[in-house]
Amino acid sequence: MQGTRNPVPWQGPEATAPIGVPLVDLLDRVLGTGVVISGDLVIAIADVPLVRLSLHALLASVSERVPAPWADSGPL
Amino acid sequence: MNSTPHISAPRISPPAKSVGSCATYVFAVCRSDHPASPSDAHGHAGGGPLRLLTVGSLCAVVQDVPATEFSETALRERLGDAAELERCARAHHGVVTATTADGPAVPMPLATLYLGDERARAAIEENQESFRLALDRITGRAEWAVKVYLTQSATTARSVAPDIRQTPAPGPGTGPRPVSGRAYLDRLRSRQNLREQHRESAVAAAERVDRAVRELAVAMVPRRPHGPEVTGKDRTQIMNMAYLIAEDRNEELAATIGRLRASPDFDGIEIDVTGPWAPYSFTDGGDLAGHS
Repeated sequence: MQGTRNPVPWQGPEATAPIGVPLVDLLDRVLGTGVVISGDLVIAIADVPLVRLSLHALLASVSERVPAPWADSGPL
Repeated sequence: MNSTPHISAPRISPPAKSVGSCATYVFAVCRSDHPASPSDAHGHAGGGPLRLLTVGSLCAVVQDVPATEFSETALRERLGDAAELERCARAHHGVVTATTADGPAVPMPLATLYLGDERARAAIEENQESFRLALDRITGRAEWAVKVYLTQSATTARSVAPDIRQTPAPGPGTGPRPVSGRAYLDRLRSRQNLREQHRESAVAAAERVDRAVRELAVAMVPRRPHGPEVTGKDRTQIMNMAYLIAEDRNEELAATIGRLRASPDFDGIEIDVTGPWAPYSFTDGGDLAGHS
């Protein structure tokens, strides 16, 4: 019950990501999974624009809180 | 005190008292021999206790939630708020995870709501067959998330001579130019080539990871890759996959990942593994392993 349920047994070597990766994984899953049945309300809620909006809100608030450490590092 | 009743008050935050109007929130669907509703998860704040709703040979883990807080408008507002979204997602996930710990269960997406038990029952009944198929597919298996990153340090550390990186950017009126234009262009080009090489080797590494994990998996689903706002600017996500893997192969997975991480050509490559997850990504299939 304990060991098998721990959602994150392995972490990346460094926790440099601005937000906990598991939360992102979690949102990907609870918001973005295929809908097996349609609920009375879920149709309106699970539509893509709202999901995007929610993720945007989350990511925006996160990047405000935790400024990126590499101000001017270019792309790859 | 509270003397002015606004007829047209647009606010939608009345106290959760609204008598009797409850919606049925469905977290997961399992077989009807599922032991009980999870005792160590509580669902959404302000809702009733978790309970099982039996539908033929299936049952659903449900909760009565105040309809006012889970109306379409209220949810739009709440799920648009980062903190509230996280709270809801974690509450949802808590119940799903606790349910799958007791036996196979098909997780529902966040905010799967019905106006009452009868509506929920009807919707599940209508889809009994696909629930049974999904339950067969996921029994004894769990989802793992595997992501591959190229780290920024690898990109810069492997760059050739340091002076290349100090070359001033071209532009009108830039400062002194110690080198000829041609040399400058050469440097630009070689830097560009280097970047491409790094990317290519990272993609090759990701393919190796995928091939290795695929051998252990029964199904897989590619997921939306995360951008720098999620990964941080010092690394680039090359791969984001979900795999459905038999529970008794967890150690093999750990060993495989360990081997890959230790491999010398994975220098500068990060492999990030999380799991076991409830099989969120596999309730409606996924590519079968070996049929790439």
